[in-house]
Amino acid sequence: MSVLDKIFEKAKQNPQKVAFPEAMNEKMMQAAYEAGKDGYIIPILVGNGAEIKAAAEERGYDASVFTIVDINEEEYKNKVIAAFVAREDTRLKEKALGRRMQDPLYYAMAMQKVGEVDVTFAGIDYTTGDVLLAGQMIIGLKEGISTISSIGLCDIPGYEGSEGSLLAVGDSGVCTNPNPEQLADIAISACETVQGLLDWEPRCAMVCYSTLGSGQGELIDKVKEALRIAQEKRPDLNIDGEFQLDAAISPAVAAKKVKRESKVAGKANILIWPDLNVGNIAVKLIQQFGHANAYGPMLQGFSSIVCDCSRGAPVSEIKGNIVISAVRAAGLKN
Amino acid sequence: MDRKELEEKIIELVSVAYKTDNVTLETSFKNDLKGASVQMVALVSEIENELDATIMLADASACSTVADLVDLVEDEL
Repeated sequence: MSVLDKIFEKAKQNPQKVAFPEAMNEKMMQAAYEAGKDGYIIPILVGNGAEIKAAAEERGYDASVFTIVDINEEEYKNKVIAAFVAREDTRLKEKALGRRMQDPLYYAMAMQKVGEVDVTFAGIDYTTGDVLLAGQMIIGLKEGISTISSIGLCDIPGYEGSEGSLLAVGDSGVCTNPNPEQLADIAISACETVQGLLDWEPRCAMVCYSTLGSGQGELIDKVKEALRIAQEKRPDLNIDGEFQLDAAISPAVAAKKVKRESKVAGKANILIWPDLNVGNIAVKLIQQFGHANAYGPMLQGFSSIVCDCSRGAPVSEIKGNIVISAVRAAGLKN
Repeated sequence: MDRKELEEKIIELVSVAYKTDNVTLETSFKNDLKGASVQMVALVSEIENELDATIMLADASACSTVADLVDLVEDEL
């Protein structure tokens, strides 16, 4: 059973309510419909109710699969606004939120913030920037976390690591040049993301060009400081370093280079890159030379799950990412 | 609200969002405040709440100084 099959199976056991603020987009509606009809999620389409209803009928979808939330319907909107402003962890007040909620993306996220849906799925018409900004404004960052970041899940043919062919890596997509505190938060968030999605015991390695002092310089100092902060903030998590990539994932190399006890060295299932240059290049190397499938990016650091889907993604990939986000949302409840 | 009142209000909101005193119209977001995007989100939210102006976060983030932000909000009022 592939990793995606396992995630799909997990979704079916506990389908989550997923809001779609881009329901009029044909690919998005199809992916939402297929994921809903197959029982992986409960799709909630947010937008102009009459338009969505007409489009769904025209496209031949069974209307009973969808719940449609009409953003022009005042009574429900006011209920969401009242619940939102009553929360202590929100910033916008009634009037400002009401204005923002004329936009389906903000409407869906406000529903998520007050628990009417479990996750918002967007990004096919909205840009990544739109989704990140709305997420910061409405959902907010997780307490104690200073930055939004992302991880990807790589399925690498022929790789025999501590989780078989799978390896989680981050951040390869969002945080350009994290300072030590941000880098620590990326590692902590990554541990929580893989716990929620895959039930792994996280073993997170902070990688750079040095293993336990074999190299020196400011690039390494940043990683060491990030490690210190991460370990201090979350001593319950297995976060270790600083390691070179081979010392992180190869037991033989770890045995030679890491002369102290480590729960991570040689068997890391998460790699944290020092910056986005490394992260972007590393993922491309894994894909180009390792012929890996890379799932994600999965956004992390928000107080609940915020998703961004690739604008050029085919329906099958969108569906996969919808289901991944639903399983992450379910994992967050545990 | 006249320009002077708007300037004072925005200086007050910037001081709260970035938890710092000594904010002036010449204060630079990048060089003086060195804030993360989280603080800019807090600032934009407060501007929306207090001044009834919806400004785009991207536009606010593009402001170099507090005076630029006052110009942006003034256009929206």
